[in-house]
Amino acid sequence: MNKELEHNFVTQLEQNQNIVHKICRLYTNDSDGHNDLFQEITIQLWRAYPKFRGDSKFSTWMYRVALNTAITLYRKSKRRVATQDFEGVSFKIKADEYDDTIEEQLSLMYDAVKTLNDIDKALVFLYLEDKNYKEISSTLGISEVNARVKMNRIKGKLRKILNP
Amino acid sequence: MDELELLKSKWQEGNQELPKLSYNDIYKMRHNKSASIVKWIFIISVCELVFWIVLGFLSPESNKELLVQIGLQNTLTILYAINYAIIAVFLILFYLNYKNIKTTDTVKTLMHSIIKTRKTVSYFVIYNVVSFVLSLLYVNLYFFSKKSELFGILIKDKDAYKGVSIETFTSVFFITQFIIGILLIGFILLFYRIVYGILLRKLKHNYGELEKIEM
Repeated sequence: MNKELEHNFVTQLEQNQNIVHKICRLYTNDSDGHNDLFQEITIQLWRAYPKFRGDSKFSTWMYRVALNTAITLYRKSKRRVATQDFEGVSFKIKADEYDDTIEEQLSLMYDAVKTLNDIDKALVFLYLEDKNYKEISSTLGISEVNARVKMNRIKGKLRKILNP
Repeated sequence: MDELELLKSKWQEGNQELPKLSYNDIYKMRHNKSASIVKWIFIISVCELVFWIVLGFLSPESNKELLVQIGLQNTLTILYAINYAIIAVFLILFYLNYKNIKTTDTVKTLMHSIIKTRKTVSYFVIYNVVSFVLSLLYVNLYFFSKKSELFGILIKDKDAYKGVSIETFTSVFFITQFIIGILLIGFILLFYRIVYGILLRKLKHNYGELEKIEM
């Protein structure tokens, strides 16, 4: 029984690992931090897994546990010196539509998002994942109206960072 | 906000370059130990509870004899009983709070539960510090009112203390009690500021950000 549970869990996480990687990328600055956070999220997901009833999608349930871990539970290990060994984020852009300015715009925008605080980052992350305001508000625990207002303010903040 | 929409569309296409972990990598990871803030708070809290409970038991025999001789034993027994009842209530509260911490809650509720757990433990410590101070005061005032009996029990007819007058004894005894009391409380408060200050800084900051949204 337990073996089966474990197998299901690992398989589902393996299939949905990109969500966790995207969160780790957003909340940490180097590959050690990334791996640490990924591991902590895995542990927290596994802990909560027996209560996962499957009435919501595995990925939806995952957003919550993973963001909770990144924002609240995770403690950066102090042994590490904070370095920036990621050269921003890279997107695979098809050769035929390759464009310097698009690539530049993307990485500037991504860097701007990374400068936001933990809560704002979570909002932007869910927005980028195309979650609606109802889902955003129920993940964070704020009202839908406030989530919408907040998102508009964050857009303003990002605009300012990009065009100071 | 064209750039954000651009990022969103690229994000959706799923062509961000991300690491890829195998089934075995993930399988191994889930067997590793958590290093979450909740785990740390839990470990430290348990240590605190144990510390205060053990401290209650660590009264040396000679001390007990002194309390019997000077007539404080009965009062203190009643105080101990009340103290342990209160400790038991705190243990139950702590356990219930801890059980309520769920990663599947909303971000805000989760933070709130952690802060609540932390608060219960800090109330426990405040209770201990206050009761420690009050009982220290009470015992010392009682001792002071019976200083000649105290002198008789501790000093008189003991060769090592020959020539110590009651005045010298009284001032040395009470000043020592006072200094030890102050040092102990200072140490406890410092410990708190350092340990929880570091542990909860990020959490409190993020909770503040969420509260601001709701204002």
